[in-house]
Amino acid sequence: MMYAIMYGLTIGAILYLISIGLSLTFGTMRVVNFAHTITYTVGAYILIASVRALGIPFWWGGLLAVLVAALAGYCIERLVIRRLYGESLDYTFIATYAVFLIGVDIVKWIWGVYPKPISDPIGRVADLGLMVFPIYRILVIFLALLVFFGLELFIKKTMVGKIIVAALDYKEGVRCLGIGVEKYFAIAFVVGSLLAALGGVLYAPITAVHPYMGLHVLLLCFAVVLTGGMGNLRGTFSAAFVLGMLISIVGRYWPAGSEIVVFMAMAAVLFLRPIDI
Amino acid sequence: MGNTFTKQGVAFETFASIGKGLVRTTGRQRVVELFVLGGVFLLLVPFLGTHRVTDFAIFCIFALSFDLLYGYMGRLSFGHLLYVGVGAYATALSLQYLTSNPLLAIGLGIVAACLAGMLAGSAAVRATGACFALINLAFNRVGWFLVMSPLKDITGGENGLSVRNLRFSYFDFQNPTFRFGFVLASLLVAFLLLRVLTSSPYGILLRSIKEDERRVRFLGYNTYFYKWLTFVIAASVAGFAGALTALNYAYVNPNTLDVHANGGVIFACLIGGAGRLYGAVLGGIIYMVITNLLPVYFQRWELLLGISLLLIVFRFRGGIWGNLETLYRRLAVHENTDRSLEGGRPR
Repeated sequence: MMYAIMYGLTIGAILYLISIGLSLTFGTMRVVNFAHTITYTVGAYILIASVRALGIPFWWGGLLAVLVAALAGYCIERLVIRRLYGESLDYTFIATYAVFLIGVDIVKWIWGVYPKPISDPIGRVADLGLMVFPIYRILVIFLALLVFFGLELFIKKTMVGKIIVAALDYKEGVRCLGIGVEKYFAIAFVVGSLLAALGGVLYAPITAVHPYMGLHVLLLCFAVVLTGGMGNLRGTFSAAFVLGMLISIVGRYWPAGSEIVVFMAMAAVLFLRPIDI
Repeated sequence: MGNTFTKQGVAFETFASIGKGLVRTTGRQRVVELFVLGGVFLLLVPFLGTHRVTDFAIFCIFALSFDLLYGYMGRLSFGHLLYVGVGAYATALSLQYLTSNPLLAIGLGIVAACLAGMLAGSAAVRATGACFALINLAFNRVGWFLVMSPLKDITGGENGLSVRNLRFSYFDFQNPTFRFGFVLASLLVAFLLLRVLTSSPYGILLRSIKEDERRVRFLGYNTYFYKWLTFVIAASVAGFAGALTALNYAYVNPNTLDVHANGGVIFACLIGGAGRLYGAVLGGIIYMVITNLLPVYFQRWELLLGISLLLIVFRFRGGIWGNLETLYRRLAVHENTDRSLEGGRPR
């Protein structure tokens, strides 16, 4: 049971890192971004490529992956997302889905379709008294908490963060103050892509890396963002950990049902509190 | 000089009148319409073979049902394949356990998809926009999981399920030619049904909901009910397509309700032109040609699909059929101005 809780925390941490970007993009730009997890996939693949082909250590490979994915995120924002401001949701959906298709196909083109495993960079376990647990996973949980508090600080203390949060609430008002919100939206998008890539890098040693890994996680992230409230960063944080815990605990007793439960929870939340977009 | 002008005028006129006839339909034209549609599919047979064209026609039925939901009512669903899957599995299972009559099994498949649509629809139609799409996606995913693991003993899980009892008196679904004829007839029936529905006052109401739901509600219509009804009809037609898929391949596997494949039908509707039945059929054929024939010559077809989707969204919102319509309309206007000029000219 303790193990299930710790495992749930790990999943929650990863889900949180990936969902922030989705929540930010939706809250600021009203774009449901299907292409979001392409940076997650790209991050994981570049990590593997740099560790295997270039032979550099895991953590430097991870840094490189996150930077390249942020660059990819910037390109996506510049070329596609920026044209979608103010469009109806259907078209943003379809356009970002198209970006997803293109991205997956490029990944398949470069790296092939077969899953690639990568080993845990620390590889040791910690004795926590009640059980033993890989240090790596504890590190993942700590990193997610760090990101959460970092984001809180970023929002509270810096001007950019304040403008982004204000735009989450009321975009027109911010624009009326004479602030060009598009620039800040681009920053929010790149930060989101960067964190998603970080999620991909951290999750790569826990699972296998394959071209469609993004789609699978994306569905879970949609559930997280919808349950937590779109554009609500603290809601996203709590929803990610609650749903991660749900996956892990249900998965312990009924392995097949672990993901159904997530979508059931999402449908229940939406049914009780429909979001009018 | 004047001679060429009149010739062009006649050409424009015939072109425009064909266009008008196809756009605007009345009683007798429906029959012509069905003949044309059937003729197109028959013409495809020598090029692609019966098997492929049967596939195409089934996909077109599915695209039509999706077009009712997305094109006419303006609700994008990312989980419409669920009903295809429900129809397919219900048909296969009823042929295995309940009956030996394929026609009855098709009926049961449609009923199952209809029931699933009633259940899921009552929750889904309360949401709009992105939530609608995502709730449907969630339902689709749940359906896929149910088939894959909890119901593995009945559905065969990943291995799929082979369909038995394909033969019943004159209805022999093992015969490809009969299969083709049956599927084509079903396509025509589905097309006719949707044509009648969409050109009725109910269809006008649907388009009004697409334009502005609040105003329709203000006029006193219970829009939830109409949205739910449309959802159920679309689900039933999709279930019909699913039942035909099961009979066509004599095999069902979880790929029939794979979430990822929903992109295909959206693409088909958009490229053909959403909100037009011809658009759905045309888009269905084009999508099937791209996915069936292109991979043979060009491995990176997903890339091409993505790029063309982006192009459609940014440049050609109306799709192929929509752009043809605007072309016709422009030509008709052109022709009218020509005529008025001629009339106004002193002789």
